[in-house]
Amino acid sequence: MSGTSGRLYDALDRAADRMLRASVFERLAIATASTALALLIGVSIVAAVGYDPVQFITSLIEGALGGRSAIARTLRFSTLFILTGVAVAVAFRAGVFNIGVQGQFVVGGITTIMSIIWLAPLLPEGVVGGVALIIIGTLAGTLAGGAYGALPGALKAYADANVIITTIMLNFIATGVVGWLVQNPLRGEGNAAPNTERIPEYVSFPRIVFDSSGFSIIGLGIALATVVVIYVVMERSRFGYDMVTSGHQESAATYSGVSAKQTVVSTMALSGMVAGIAGAVFAIMIQGYYTDPSGIGTYGFDAIAVSLLAANNPLGIIPAGLLFGGLESAGSHIGIYTDVPVQLIDGVIGLVILFVAVPELFRMAAARTGLGGDR
Amino acid sequence: MNVAEFAKENKIGIAGVAVLLAAAAIAAVAMDLPLWDIVTVGFVERSFQAATPIALTAIGGLYAEKSGVFNIGVEGFMIFGAATAATMMWIISGGDPGQSDIWLAILASMLVSLVLAILFAILMIRYEADQIVAGLALWFIGLGFGPFMAVLVWDSRNSPSLESINDLTIPVLADIPVLGPILFDTSPLVIATAILAVVAWKVLNDTKYGYWIQAAGENPEALDTAGVNVTRVRYAAVIFSGVMAGLGGAVLLAQAGSFTGSGQTMVGGRGWIGIVAYLFGNYNPLGAGVAALVFGGLDMLQIQLQTVGIEVPNRLVNLFPYVGVIIVLSVWGSTRTPSAVGETYESEE
Amino acid sequence: MEGITKRFGDVVANDSVDFSLEEGSIHALLGENGSGKTTLMSVLYGLYEKNAGTISVNGEPRTFDSPRDAMDAGIGMIHQHFQLVDSMTVLQNIILGHEPTNNGLVDTSEARADIEEICSHYDFNVDQHLDTKIQDLDLGARQRVEIVKSLYRGADILILDEPTAVLTPQEIQDLLDVMEELADAGHSLIFITHKLGEALQTADEITVLRDGEAIGTVDAGETSEEELARMMVGREIQFDRPPRDPSDGASVLEASELRVRDDRDLEQVSGVDLSVQEGEILGIAGVQGNGQTELVEALTGLRDVDSGSVGFHGDDITETNRRQRIRDGIAYIPEDRTTEGLVQDYTLVRNALLGNQTVKPFVENGMIDWSAVDAHAGDIIEEYDVQPPDKSNEAKSLSGGNQQKFIVGREIEHNPDVMIASHPTRGVDIGSIEFIHDRLLELRESGMAIVVVSSKLDEIQKLSDRIAVMYEGEFIDTVDPVETTEEELGMLMAGHNTAEGDVAGENAPSGGVQS
Repeated sequence: MSGTSGRLYDALDRAADRMLRASVFERLAIATASTALALLIGVSIVAAVGYDPVQFITSLIEGALGGRSAIARTLRFSTLFILTGVAVAVAFRAGVFNIGVQGQFVVGGITTIMSIIWLAPLLPEGVVGGVALIIIGTLAGTLAGGAYGALPGALKAYADANVIITTIMLNFIATGVVGWLVQNPLRGEGNAAPNTERIPEYVSFPRIVFDSSGFSIIGLGIALATVVVIYVVMERSRFGYDMVTSGHQESAATYSGVSAKQTVVSTMALSGMVAGIAGAVFAIMIQGYYTDPSGIGTYGFDAIAVSLLAANNPLGIIPAGLLFGGLESAGSHIGIYTDVPVQLIDGVIGLVILFVAVPELFRMAAARTGLGGDR
Repeated sequence: MNVAEFAKENKIGIAGVAVLLAAAAIAAVAMDLPLWDIVTVGFVERSFQAATPIALTAIGGLYAEKSGVFNIGVEGFMIFGAATAATMMWIISGGDPGQSDIWLAILASMLVSLVLAILFAILMIRYEADQIVAGLALWFIGLGFGPFMAVLVWDSRNSPSLESINDLTIPVLADIPVLGPILFDTSPLVIATAILAVVAWKVLNDTKYGYWIQAAGENPEALDTAGVNVTRVRYAAVIFSGVMAGLGGAVLLAQAGSFTGSGQTMVGGRGWIGIVAYLFGNYNPLGAGVAALVFGGLDMLQIQLQTVGIEVPNRLVNLFPYVGVIIVLSVWGSTRTPSAVGETYESEE
Repeated sequence: MEGITKRFGDVVANDSVDFSLEEGSIHALLGENGSGKTTLMSVLYGLYEKNAGTISVNGEPRTFDSPRDAMDAGIGMIHQHFQLVDSMTVLQNIILGHEPTNNGLVDTSEARADIEEICSHYDFNVDQHLDTKIQDLDLGARQRVEIVKSLYRGADILILDEPTAVLTPQEIQDLLDVMEELADAGHSLIFITHKLGEALQTADEITVLRDGEAIGTVDAGETSEEELARMMVGREIQFDRPPRDPSDGASVLEASELRVRDDRDLEQVSGVDLSVQEGEILGIAGVQGNGQTELVEALTGLRDVDSGSVGFHGDDITETNRRQRIRDGIAYIPEDRTTEGLVQDYTLVRNALLGNQTVKPFVENGMIDWSAVDAHAGDIIEEYDVQPPDKSNEAKSLSGGNQQKFIVGREIEHNPDVMIASHPTRGVDIGSIEFIHDRLLELRESGMAIVVVSSKLDEIQKLSDRIAVMYEGEFIDTVDPVETTEEELGMLMAGHNTAEGDVAGENAPSGGVQS
C-alpha cells in the first residue's frame, strides 16, 4: 500500500480502534449516550419550534412500537439495517472501509428482481416455484453484490486505488445505472412510473405472525441467520481470523502467512455479498419490483452508523439495527400522523451518527464527571 | 515549471479531460452531432453558472484536505447553506424578496455556515472524530434539518418562488465577442467565484499561510518543529471549507431562485462532485475551477442536447465523472493525497 | 548537559548522563541501537522533557520546552527522518515558519538572497536547487537542505541524528567534508551514530553510551576502534559458552547468491550464500542495517528475492509464500514482537493461533478449534514461564521479556525443522534472556537447525557454532566463535576483515565458508 492512502487508513483504523478498544460497558454507554443526546437535541428543537415535545416523544414510541403494524414496520426496517450493518461490519473489522454498501445493496436488489422475472416462466407456479425462485433470486443478488464489492477491493489491492473514493463513486454509478435501467430497458410494460415488472405473487415470503405486506418474519429470520453465519465465520473460521487480524495489525497478519491483497478482495466480496442479501430481502419482501434507487432509502449509509454503534461486532448489530429500525419507523409515523416534519428524524439519525463518531466527547465528559468507572 | 513537470503534476486532470474529449469526439462523429448548435455561447454561460457552486465547494474542500483533514461533509454544508439562504431571504424580506435581500441572505447563510463549521472543526480536531463518519453524519444532518427548515417556514419541503439573482452587465467588457456574455453579462457570483479561485490559488502557493497549510497536510511534524501551531492551521482550513461549501449552497439557491428540499434536495450530490472536482484538479484551486466547469457543462449538456433534438439518458451522462474518477485512480494510481490526511496530530511534550 | 535522566514508564532511556560540547568541535555520540543517544539529543532539542538534570548553553542554564526554544538558543537538529515537506520546494522548506513577507506575499527574493549568503560560506550547492521539489532530490541533497534550514534559522550548534544511515558511500564522504567545513567556520556539531569508523574519522571527541549510561568520553585522536568497540558492546554478564559436540547433520536450509532489495528499492543483500545444518546454530552478527533484516525476510518468505535461491531440504523454495513455508517447517521469531510477532490487542489465546492457522488440530477444514488453541496457549505459558500466567491477558499487558518468551514458545511448539530467530532477546530482561538461550541450545541438541541474528556479540558467541558477520549486504567472513575474540568480531562488524587486513567494501571476499 502506498504511503499516501496507507496513512489515511491507519488513521481511520486508529479511530475505529479507539471505539473497539472500549470495553463492552463503555461501548454500551457511548451508544446509549449518543442516542440519548441526539434525541434530546431533537426534542429540544421540536419544542423550540413550537411543537409539543411530550406528544413528540409519545409519537416516537407509538411509531416504533405501538401496535402490530408499527412493530412490523420497525422490524422491517430493522431487518435491512441489520443486514446492511453486518455488511459494513465485515469490512470495517478487516480494516477495509467499504462505504459502498448502498451500491452493492442496489445491485443485489435489481439482480434479484430481474433474475426472478426472467426465470419465472421456466419454473412451475405455486409454492414450489416460489421457493425455488426466492432461492435463486437471493443467490443471484448475493453474488451480484459480492462481485460489485470485489471490484473496488481488487482495485485497492492491485491498483492501489483509494477504496473510500471508489466505493462512493460506485454508489452513485449503481444508483444512476439502475435508475436508467428501470426507466427504459427494464421498465415494466405499461408502467407509468419507472418500475420494473412485479415479481409473481407466489414469490414472496409467507405471512406468518405479522400480516403485513411489507414484512415477514422470514426476512428477519434471514437477517438473524446471516448475523449468526457471519459471526461464526469471523470468530471461528480461519478466513475470519485472517481477516480480523489484518484489520487489527496487518504486519502481524502478514507474518502469520496472510496475503494482504487476497484478504482485501475477499473481505470486500464478502461484505458485498451480505449487502446483496440485504438487497434481495428488500426486493422480495418489501418492494416486489425494482424502482429508482434514489428513492429507496439510505440503508447503506445508515449501516455505517449501525456498525460503528455496534463496534463492528456482528452480534451487537442486532440491537443497533433494532434501534435504527425503531427510529426510522417512528419517523414514518411522525411524518404521517403529526405535524412534525419527518425530516427531523433524519436529522436526529444524523446526530446519532455524529456522536457515535466522536467517542472522545463522551470519554472526556465521563472522565470529568466521574462516570464510567474503568477509565 | 516546465511542461513535463506540469504534466506529471496534473496527470489525473489531464487524463480526465483527455478521456472526456475523446468520448465527445467519438460521440460527435458517431452520432453526427451538430456541434456548434450544442456548444453555444448561452450553453457556456449557463455552464459557468452551474459550475459556480461546485467550484466554491471544491476550493474550500481542497484547503481542508490539503491541511490534513478530509471534510467529507461538504454536501451537508451545502444543503444547510442553501436552506438557510432561502429561509433567511423569506424572513428578512417578509415574504417578498428582492435583489438586495438575496445578498443579505447569502451573508446570513455564511454566518450560519461559519458557526456550523466551527462546531464541526472542534469535533474533528479537538475531539478527534472519525473524519469519514463525522462527514457522513453531517450529510445526513443536512438532509434532515435542511428540508426541516423549509417545512417550518413554508409547510413544505420546497419553497415557493423566491427571487433569483439578476445578471450583472459590465458595460464595455460585455460587448467582447464570446467572452463578453460569458463572463461579464452574467450572475455577479460567477465573476466573484472566478476571482476567488485566483485568490485562493495565490494564497495557497505564495503566502506563508499557504505554505503552512501544505506542510500541515504533508508533514505536520516538520511544521511543528518549524514552530508553527499545526492545530490552528487545520482549524482555519476546516472552517474555511465549511464556510465555502455553505456559500456554494447559498449561491446555488441564489441562482435557482427557490429551494427544493425533496429527495436529495436541490444540492443533489454537488458536494460530492465538488470533492471529485478538486481531486481532478489535483488540489489546485484553478484546476478545481476548471473541473467544476466541466461538470457544470455536463449538467447543462442534457438540456442543451434536448433543444437540438437529441435524447441522451441524462442519468448516464451524469455518471461519467464518477466512472472517470475510478478509471483514473486505478490506472494512474492514487491522487496526490496529502500524506498526513486523516492523522490527528499531537505535538510532542 | 549534566545528570540528564529520562524515563519512559519503566524504561530508563538516559541514566544520569553528562555530556559537554566544545565550541567549534565535532562530537560524536556513539552507541548501539537503544543505547539512549537519540533520546538524549531529543531532550536537548526540547522534544522530550527530562526527568532530572540541567542543560547550559554557553554557560547559561536553559530549559527547552519545545523545539522553538532550542532554536531560539541557536540549536538546530537534523533528524534521521527528514523534517521536510516532499511536495514543496527547497526554498519553501528552508524558510518554513520563518518566511519573510512583503505585502502579505512571501518575499522569495529576500529569502533567496539570504540563503545564497549562507551557502556562499560553504561548499553547498543547495542554492542552485532552490526551486526543486524535495521529492525530486536524492537523500544526500535533502540532508544538505536540512542543514541549510538549520543555518537559516540561526543555529550555531547542530545535532545530526544518524546522518549517514541513508547515504551512499560517496554521499557520506561529502557529508563528512561538510561537517568539517561547518566546524571550521565556528559551528559546534554533535552527531549521533553507531558506526565506529565514521566517529573516529570525523569527530574530535567521542562519547559512548550503552544501555542509557554514558560509559566515557574520549579524544578521537587517542583512541582506537578496538577500545570503542569494547566500550559500545561491553560485558554484561559473563556468558559461559557451553561445551558442545560439533554438528554433522545434513544441511537443512540454504541460500545461494541471494540478492534482496528493501522497500526503497535499494539492494540490501548483495549475494549471500549460507547453509545451516541439523543440530547447528548459525549466528549472523553485525550492526543493524547491514541487510540482516532483509535476509531474514527472504528466508522466511516475507520478502521476494531479486535473484538467487533459497533451498529447504534440498527443494527450491524461493517462490513459495510465507504460509507455505510455515507449513513446511520454518519457524520465525520476528525482530519486532510488537508489530509482527503478536497482535497487541489480542489475548494470548488468540495470539497462540498466529502462525498456526494451518496447523492441525487448531484449524481443521478451515474451522478453528478454540479449545485446542486455548489449551495450547496454556501449555506455552506454563512451559515457557510466561508471567503473569493468564492466557486471557492481552499481549500488550505483558512485559517485553514475557511477550518474547511467549513468541519463542509458540514458534518452538511448531516443531519446525528450521528456526530463525531475529534479535531474540532485544529489550528482554536478564532472566528471560537466560531462559530463551537455554531453550535454543536445547533445540540445537535435539537436532534443529537454527539461525540467530543478533547485534549482541556475547549472545552470538555463546550460542553459535559458526558466526557469519554481515556487513553491507555480504557475509564478510564466517568464523569460529571459540577462536575469535570480541574485538575481532567488533572489527569485522565495522567492516574490517582481519584476515585480509583490508577495509571491507573495496575488495572483501563475500560468502560464507561452508563446512
